[in-house]
Amino acid sequence: MHQHAETTLRDGTTISDLINHETREVKVRALSDPELYELEMERIFAKTWIFLGHETEIPNKGDFVTRDMGSDAVIVARDRDNEIHVSLNVCPHRAMRVQTHDAGNTNVHMCIYHGWAFKPNGDFIGAPIEKECMHGKMTPKDQLGLKKARVALYGGLIFATWNIDGPSLEEFFGDAKYYFDTLFLRTKGGLEVLGPPQRFRINANWKTACEQSAADGFHTLTLHRWLGEVGPYAKKPDAEGKGADLSPEMYGSEVWTDHGHALRCIELDRKIVRLTGKDPAELTPAEKLTVLPPPGITPAMVPELLERFDDGQLKLMSWRPPQVGGFFPNGLFEFIYLPQPDGTIIGACALHAYIPKGPDKLEFMNWIFAEKDTPPELKARMLRQSVQMLGTSGMVEMEDSDTWPHQTEVAKGAMSKTITMKYQALFENGAPEGWPGPGHVGDGFTKDDTQWAWWKYWHELMTSEK
Amino acid sequence: MEKNPLEPRPLPPSLRANRVPVGSPLYNDMVEFMYDEAELFDTLRLRDWIAMVAKDIEYTVPLRHTRATRDQDKSVVRTVQHMYDDYRSIMLRVMRVMDTRSAWGEDPPSRTKHMVSNIRVYRTDKEDEFKVHSYLLMTRNRFDHDKFDLIPCERHDVIRKTESGYQLARREVIIDQAVLGTPNLGIFL
Ligand code: FES
Ligand SMILES: [Fe+2]
Repeated sequence: MHQHAETTLRDGTTISDLINHETREVKVRALSDPELYELEMERIFAKTWIFLGHETEIPNKGDFVTRDMGSDAVIVARDRDNEIHVSLNVCPHRAMRVQTHDAGNTNVHMCIYHGWAFKPNGDFIGAPIEKECMHGKMTPKDQLGLKKARVALYGGLIFATWNIDGPSLEEFFGDAKYYFDTLFLRTKGGLEVLGPPQRFRINANWKTACEQSAADGFHTLTLHRWLGEVGPYAKKPDAEGKGADLSPEMYGSEVWTDHGHALRCIELDRKIVRLTGKDPAELTPAEKLTVLPPPGITPAMVPELLERFDDGQLKLMSWRPPQVGGFFPNGLFEFIYLPQPDGTIIGACALHAYIPKGPDKLEFMNWIFAEKDTPPELKARMLRQSVQMLGTSGMVEMEDSDTWPHQTEVAKGAMSKTITMKYQALFENGAPEGWPGPGHVGDGFTKDDTQWAWWKYWHELMTSEK
Repeated sequence: MEKNPLEPRPLPPSLRANRVPVGSPLYNDMVEFMYDEAELFDTLRLRDWIAMVAKDIEYTVPLRHTRATRDQDKSVVRTVQHMYDDYRSIMLRVMRVMDTRSAWGEDPPSRTKHMVSNIRVYRTDKEDEFKVHSYLLMTRNRFDHDKFDLIPCERHDVIRKTESGYQLARREVIIDQAVLGTPNLGIFL
């Protein structure tokens, strides 16, 4: 399907020279090279499906938000028929940014430079002084609209691609869809954003954040060690002994797909023992989901889960639910269970997009969610918990955002850019017994396979051209 | 408009009629509170700062949105915010930095300057609580970077008079940037 397009960089290196498939290594140069960055914008961000937001951000006809698909600015707008459209936010007249607001409501997006006007679906409405033919004589009016992307909605999440005839979003998700369904399609009411996304800039290459999102589990033990020292995972010194070892929290299964999507499915057994005092093997999925429902779900909402999912998915949700992972190229999800001081557990649901802003800069966007049907006080608690742990002031994620700039900076050294990053910790055991889902699966402590799958797909896209 | 249950309780208004004159003893107390607090932040004396914080504090940093002039009321977003803390989470932030050896996001610590200016003080309908409105320009420098992150913002505080001195009872920090130019808020504003 793809045609080989090996590109030679200015110094004679090819993209395939940067990656060693046998030893699972990637040259550090990949984290900073400006030539690669240009190619990534064309071959990845202008080709794959890109996550842009959630339909509940623009609930009314005429609502819009402005977003980015890689290096391209777009308008995400709802039209009079309630359809969502994604259009390039560049005026076809003389290339002014058409919509300069972050969000709003309008049925006419008018370019302030010379006044050309467009519908929420990107169609050209008209230019001023029609009788003097300001819109010109060469290009027909129906071709003067904003360039339109192909849009797909999934569980209210808005994705778009410039690859108009390419694979469907479902094909792109592949085996990951089975697992994503347990996160994004839990209730009939569906998810809703609790507000607009947080946004902040980090002086780092987008891939430092994104390859970590491909389920790097090892970093949590050291980079997030404080969580076990004084944070939510700290042990009670009298009952459980001292120590900040987070490794018991890292057991479970990991799933990866050929399109670089990754899921860390973390075991709930320890938490269920804590909450019930019973052996989880003796509890049915329904019983387990009732004592420890997924984030945003109350015990009263559990019957709806039982109706919506098959036995395999219910088993997964009550045993090893996906809690952290990434969707290729630049998305991360966190649907995590956070222990509270009073012994209860509160969930946090968040999605991140890491928007490339040049070889040395990314924009971190963080959306916080709950189910529409989550009771208001629980929503409010989840919101606070999420803001305190994730995103801008997040006590977990501030260590991550402080790490990526260092990686990006040191990747420029004449010597350091030639050394390699290693993804050599491998699962060797396949899926655990009774694993219900598809995809490549590894059982036990976190490993590197998920991140390696991310780099493999990066390489595939970077050396392919339609 | 009806209150969104996800938003924090609103601050008392800054009524011009209730302005405390510049230079009056109460005004001077508030200025000294602001300066002392800035010094504690910038010299990493977070435990001493905690002693100046009321147990019922709400500490919030709304998002900013770029909106049309006629929609300026929508340019401050108080559902999802950059920071949404209570006393317990503030304590956790302080313990993280002071009691562990793994708060890497602030270890080594940022070098900061909290520059507080344009201080205006208002009486509120509670006798022991004062509204303090100020500008804050903060510089933040890390590692061997030659550049500073600049965080321009304004603070809307409620300072409460207690038997053991003044305490910070409420703070809302409204940042000028819609997209923050600093990699996290691992520091207090
Ligand atoms: S550039 Fe938009 S109308 Fe001219
Ligand atoms: Fe992390």
